[in-house]
Amino acid sequence: MSDRDTLSKLDKINSVYGMFHDFGGEWTDDTEFLFSAKDNLTSKGFETCAGSRILEGYRPAFDATAIARMKEAGGQLIGKTNMDEFGFGTFSANSAFEVPKNPFDLGRSCGGSSGGSACAAAVLEDHVSLGVSTGGSVCCPASFCGTYGIVPTYGRVSRYGLIDYGNSLDKIGLLSMDPAKLSEYLPVISGKDPKDPTSCVQPELRIEHRRISSVAVPRESVEGISDSVKKAFTDALESLRSMGVDVEYVDMPQLKYAMPAYYVLATSEASTNLARYCGMRYGRQDGDLSLGFDDYFTSFRTEYFGDEAKRRILLGTYTRMEGFRDRYYAKALQVRMGVIDAYKAQFRDHDAVLTPTMPFVSPRFEDISAMSPVENYKADFLTIPPNLAGTPHLNCPCGYDGDGMPIGMQFVTDHWNEDLLLTMAEDWDRQFEVRHAEVKV
Amino acid sequence: MKIGLEVHVQLPTRSKMFCSCPTTDAPAPNTHVCPVCLGMPGSRPVLNRQALVYGIMLAKMLGCKVADTTWFSRKTYFYPDMSKSVQITQYDHPIGEGGVVYLNGKKPIRITRIHLEEDPGKTRRTAEGSSLVDYNRSGIPLAEIVTEPDIASPEEAREFLAQLIADIKHTIDIPDDGERSIRCDCNISVGKERCEVKNVTGLKNAERALRYEMVRQIKILKAGGKIERETRAFDEERGITYSARKKEFEADYGYIDEPDLGIFRIKELVDSVSIKESPAKMTQRLSSQYGIDEKKAKQLVSTSVNLAQFFEKVASAYGTQEAVRWVIGPVTANWKRFEERGGGTEAVLAVLGKFADGTITDTECTIELKSVMTGESAAEAAAQTDDLEKIISGYLDANPQIVEDYRKGNKKAANSVIGHVMKSTGGKYSSSDIVEAVTRIVESRI
Repeated sequence: MSDRDTLSKLDKINSVYGMFHDFGGEWTDDTEFLFSAKDNLTSKGFETCAGSRILEGYRPAFDATAIARMKEAGGQLIGKTNMDEFGFGTFSANSAFEVPKNPFDLGRSCGGSSGGSACAAAVLEDHVSLGVSTGGSVCCPASFCGTYGIVPTYGRVSRYGLIDYGNSLDKIGLLSMDPAKLSEYLPVISGKDPKDPTSCVQPELRIEHRRISSVAVPRESVEGISDSVKKAFTDALESLRSMGVDVEYVDMPQLKYAMPAYYVLATSEASTNLARYCGMRYGRQDGDLSLGFDDYFTSFRTEYFGDEAKRRILLGTYTRMEGFRDRYYAKALQVRMGVIDAYKAQFRDHDAVLTPTMPFVSPRFEDISAMSPVENYKADFLTIPPNLAGTPHLNCPCGYDGDGMPIGMQFVTDHWNEDLLLTMAEDWDRQFEVRHAEVKV
Repeated sequence: MKIGLEVHVQLPTRSKMFCSCPTTDAPAPNTHVCPVCLGMPGSRPVLNRQALVYGIMLAKMLGCKVADTTWFSRKTYFYPDMSKSVQITQYDHPIGEGGVVYLNGKKPIRITRIHLEEDPGKTRRTAEGSSLVDYNRSGIPLAEIVTEPDIASPEEAREFLAQLIADIKHTIDIPDDGERSIRCDCNISVGKERCEVKNVTGLKNAERALRYEMVRQIKILKAGGKIERETRAFDEERGITYSARKKEFEADYGYIDEPDLGIFRIKELVDSVSIKESPAKMTQRLSSQYGIDEKKAKQLVSTSVNLAQFFEKVASAYGTQEAVRWVIGPVTANWKRFEERGGGTEAVLAVLGKFADGTITDTECTIELKSVMTGESAAEAAAQTDDLEKIISGYLDANPQIVEDYRKGNKKAANSVIGHVMKSTGGKYSSSDIVEAVTRIVESRI
């Protein structure tokens, strides 16, 4: 199919689902595959806004390393996907632009914050999309949209060109309906990059098709989840046993401290990352130049940051203030080490820790707007721990509720053990019937 | 009175601290910039290893305990010249802590810490009242050296800064011609409360700002007033300090660790970095080791560390007395030209060898040294030396009071001879030649 046919089809699809912030391009028959990327990855030729009005008009001078490597491998970037502003959200509803709609029910969320990427992966044929996870932003939308999604170890994929949320937490991952694409493209985007020092300490990513032979299921993870998720998850455990995987329930009480620690660290870092957006240099710059710089900056930040961005800036500024820094920020760093230790203890006896991905299926938009910020944050209690620990994790579709909404489970392996996850996704896909959403155009 | 300084020194790396932009003078504003030093979204820093090495060298020079593990922090504040609104600096675990510098080899000035950070850009006000920002400077590596309030006067502050800068330049090889700016924040208290004068450029201005501030505080206290703790700025043109925004002083920078750079375990690197003896330390050592006057030692070292090294060479070959006589005399006088020509010291040493053997007389030795060091023919050097000596001798014969005054300890008496010779020879001889010859001849008459 020519680029023009594809683009006109994309246009129709996007008008229904709203997954793209910007799309387009020209390509030839030499193009080996098409991919999309979350809009917090910088890309030449596309506006890059990270879901924020404050970046409207920003056309980066450089490609993010992950995008550049996909292009070098023969890929064509066809669009930038909608997301929560700077990644701040669970439902992509905090986007300053369009909110992507769930492929299985247009009245529901795609999840977030890589909601547009999950939507594109679920709706477009043979598609792979680059997502970014800080506290669950790949596995959550993969779960809600019924796709596979992998987040590699922190430092596996260069973050050069990633518009930062929390630098010590951000990880670039992949979403696709086809697990083989995860195995194919993860090695493409992985590897050392001198432009990101945190990518330069990794051991090589070896695809050796090693299998997960035993999983630990924390009892804490099946408390406080919906009945439909519990049932699908329990059935999935049975299927895993029939595949020859040992399943053992364990206690991981440390997991419950992950969420508060995560929000302290993520917002502390975010509040410093967002300091640079002040209407100078890039993005919107159309303010009143007669103001003093303090007032000029304030006017932009007041006008163009969304509510959730402001909330996280305030939270993060508070937790790193003189006098509170030790009580919050320094303490959260300690808790993070505790969570890592808890995982390491499980990995002595098991290849992976397994939990449901989200505690419920994708909610309807009207239910989301009724949620308080704390209820909203709590939805991430299962995806936050591996993100805080920097351990690789994978969402596999594992069931559907009575309305046909997808349910996912999340495998977590030890640092640098992505190979185990890739093998699991392919093995699982052979015996579980993954449903594809009916595309409405 | 207590004075403490925070001294900022640009480090002479070829590229910036966190990106590969050059640090050389730029042809126009905002030309030595890239996504990293402009803080473009998605860009991130990579540490220039050489900046770390310079930091280690300076920490060692200051006698600091050098960290085995160090990392960077983010200091958040909003100002147009700070491209990320976040400065990458060091907060906990700086590169060095707890050092001491001996001013003139005697008075200890304690060093609180030395840390590395990036320079912001520059803001320039236009005539129309708006501001322009130039980010060429953004990301140039800086070392910040913080002293304890051990300095007792503005003069001492200047003296300390001069010694510190000479030591820094020598230790990390900042060329003398490439005058890099030294900026400091000066803290001063005459009574109990202190004021900080921010961002003063150069030694002279540091002394001026401190003196102004000292007088201002004394006046307030004498009038029964109270010093208010505040941040002040220095107006170079008018030579006064004035109150800066109080808000700035209250700022809470909300330091967190810089996650993009990680933790640096540098024990091996620290062990592998060695530093040259600093000029200040060398001065002290020469003075005590060879029993020479501290001023003479300082003169040697400040002329050139190479000259001081040559002095040691001569002392070990022919004894201290000869070294003092020849190196602090004629060799010093010709050293500048000698270094400009760039040659080895073997030939110079050989001339002194001939004198030690008794092969040549002291006059011949003076002439040969000049010839060997400046490249002039022996006849030319002889004629010059001869002429010069005649003029000086003639003037001294006519004015015997000069030698008399000099003998009584008024060393300045020789200045009138120097002035006369300079005037009457009209630039024929270098001032160092004249000074050397006058000193030599006057001393020979005592």
